[in-house]
Amino acid sequence: MSYSLRGTLIRSLLKVVTPLWLLACALLAFHAWHEVNELYEQQQALFARQLYGTLPTLGARSEPERPQVGDDDVDFMAVAAWNRHGQLLLVDSEGLQLDARPGYTGFASLRQHDEDWRVYYLSGEAGSVAVAQEMSERWEMIGGLLLTQGLLWLLLLPFALLALWWAVGRGLAPLAHIREQLQRRAPDDATPLPREVPSELHTLIDAMNDLIGRVAQTLQRERRFTADAAHELRSPLAAMRVQAEVAQLVQDPALRERALQQLMNGVDRSSHLLAQLLALSRVDAEQQHDEALDWPLLLQELGEAVSGLAASHHVTLRLPPAGHTQWPLQHGDRTLLLLMLRNLLDNAIRYGGGTVSLEADATRISVSDEGDGVPEALLDKVRERFYRPPGQQQTGSGLGLSIVERIAALHGLRLSLHNRDGGGLQAVLTRGHGT
Amino acid sequence: MRILIIEDDELIGDGLQAGLSALGFACDWLRDGKQGLAGIGAAPYDAVVLDLGLPGMDGLAVLAAWRRSGRNEPVLLLTARDAVDDRIRGLDSGADDYLVKPFALGEVAARLRALVRRRGGHNTPLLQHGRVSFDPAARQATLDGAVVDLSARELALLELLLSNKGRVLRREQIEEKLYDWAHEVESNAIEVHVHHLRKKLGSDFIKTRRGIGYTLGDGA
Repeated sequence: MSYSLRGTLIRSLLKVVTPLWLLACALLAFHAWHEVNELYEQQQALFARQLYGTLPTLGARSEPERPQVGDDDVDFMAVAAWNRHGQLLLVDSEGLQLDARPGYTGFASLRQHDEDWRVYYLSGEAGSVAVAQEMSERWEMIGGLLLTQGLLWLLLLPFALLALWWAVGRGLAPLAHIREQLQRRAPDDATPLPREVPSELHTLIDAMNDLIGRVAQTLQRERRFTADAAHELRSPLAAMRVQAEVAQLVQDPALRERALQQLMNGVDRSSHLLAQLLALSRVDAEQQHDEALDWPLLLQELGEAVSGLAASHHVTLRLPPAGHTQWPLQHGDRTLLLLMLRNLLDNAIRYGGGTVSLEADATRISVSDEGDGVPEALLDKVRERFYRPPGQQQTGSGLGLSIVERIAALHGLRLSLHNRDGGGLQAVLTRGHGT
Repeated sequence: MRILIIEDDELIGDGLQAGLSALGFACDWLRDGKQGLAGIGAAPYDAVVLDLGLPGMDGLAVLAAWRRSGRNEPVLLLTARDAVDDRIRGLDSGADDYLVKPFALGEVAARLRALVRRRGGHNTPLLQHGRVSFDPAARQATLDGAVVDLSARELALLELLLSNKGRVLRREQIEEKLYDWAHEVESNAIEVHVHHLRKKLGSDFIKTRRGIGYTLGDGA
């Protein structure tokens, strides 16, 4: 799913801040309403008290006095005064009909001419006065406050969003830089990406660097393998070419026959090498099967596969009896396991000799021969790909043990090689973790 | 011409030895770098074919050790890697030429002849003396332009004498140049070859310096 970090931030901001702002406005309005009421009502009370003070000076008239205010600004106010007999002494020009409420002191609400009014009555010995004020005046004030608040928000919002936009862009700028680097990068470049990014992205960069490292390693390994394989294929090719030329060149039929035989050896060697290379690449590439192993059948196939080689090398082959049940593995890929054991037996027959025996118990499989073994100094080297001990007369690819190790690892087995006390080499596949 | 081959691959070494022998070279073959290091002193080799990837001791290390100890036999490198770096390192280590596997046998022989020729200071592929001329590549000798039928050993002796004009070659020297380890030298073999060459190319073609050895005649 793709989404924009900017968009998400802006949406989140709006989603969170707008309700908060609305809540703040509501609180403000509530508080302001309270304060405004208090303020205006105090004023009304004060005004009423002053008016009441003037009552004795207002004589009783037949017509109540209507002072000419002339100022529209105060038309939201209305006043009235009555003498102690309830006779209206004063009324403002609004024509507001304020009821006389002799003896009453306090606030009252009133609706007249589609206006809400708040009226304060003050009564005493001298009579009573009423000071009324339109409620809309108060509403207007609250409205103004809220409007200011709203305008402020609307004015600030674009700036806030711009600032956010800019900050996000600035924060993400290193990413753009990394993107450019990645675009320009050679596929096998192993240099890590710079960590000059916001710390929130460090984990991502670290993970990418880790991946880059691993990919580069794999690539290097593959490249070396390809180079090694090509190199290994050149040698039998060179050998075949030379031998073919010799066969063309020599006059002596015996020498020609010998060169042709050598040519055949070269062909066999190349085929073997190719088969091993393919086997190795298949071990890596192909889906492994995990199936219950039929060891008796596997042993039978193994015996069939190597008996010819054993016979031609005058080697006695000793495999466990068909009923042998103790094996370190009960599940695995039978094709690969067959390839693995076959390679071990092949090695023992070709390079060892005497009696070659395969033994197994619940934790290990071992293949031993009675040959000369491998010099201790070379025990590690013979496991390297394409390595062949000096002076080796037997044909081989130098890949057998690599294949064995690879398949063993896939099955949780570990290969170890050691020279036996009585002479000969023993290859042991042990189950378990590093033991 | 006597050649030392140092190559660990059984089939290649065997083929080089058989092929170069058939092309008129006397060849010895060693399979290991350390053997090769000492082996160069075992006979007066005219050139060396050296494989780079050797067990025991790397070909380049062998070559460098030779050059350090003052050995200046022409060396033709064989390499299975055609990376430029390998070739540069090879040539810089003192090799005179290189070939990348797989190579043609004929090319190995031609390059060896060229190396030896250059080392001997001549440029023309034909070796000449008086009425006799010899084409090392074709293994063919002519007398007054007419092809003379010579055996492989006689051709080798002729080539040796023509390459060492003005020098007297001892019998043992000639034996060492003509015979590799695989071939036993009969006690009077050289005398027999000299006799045959004289018969076919003129009795005064080869002069005998009593008690010393053989050299070319005046070439009249």
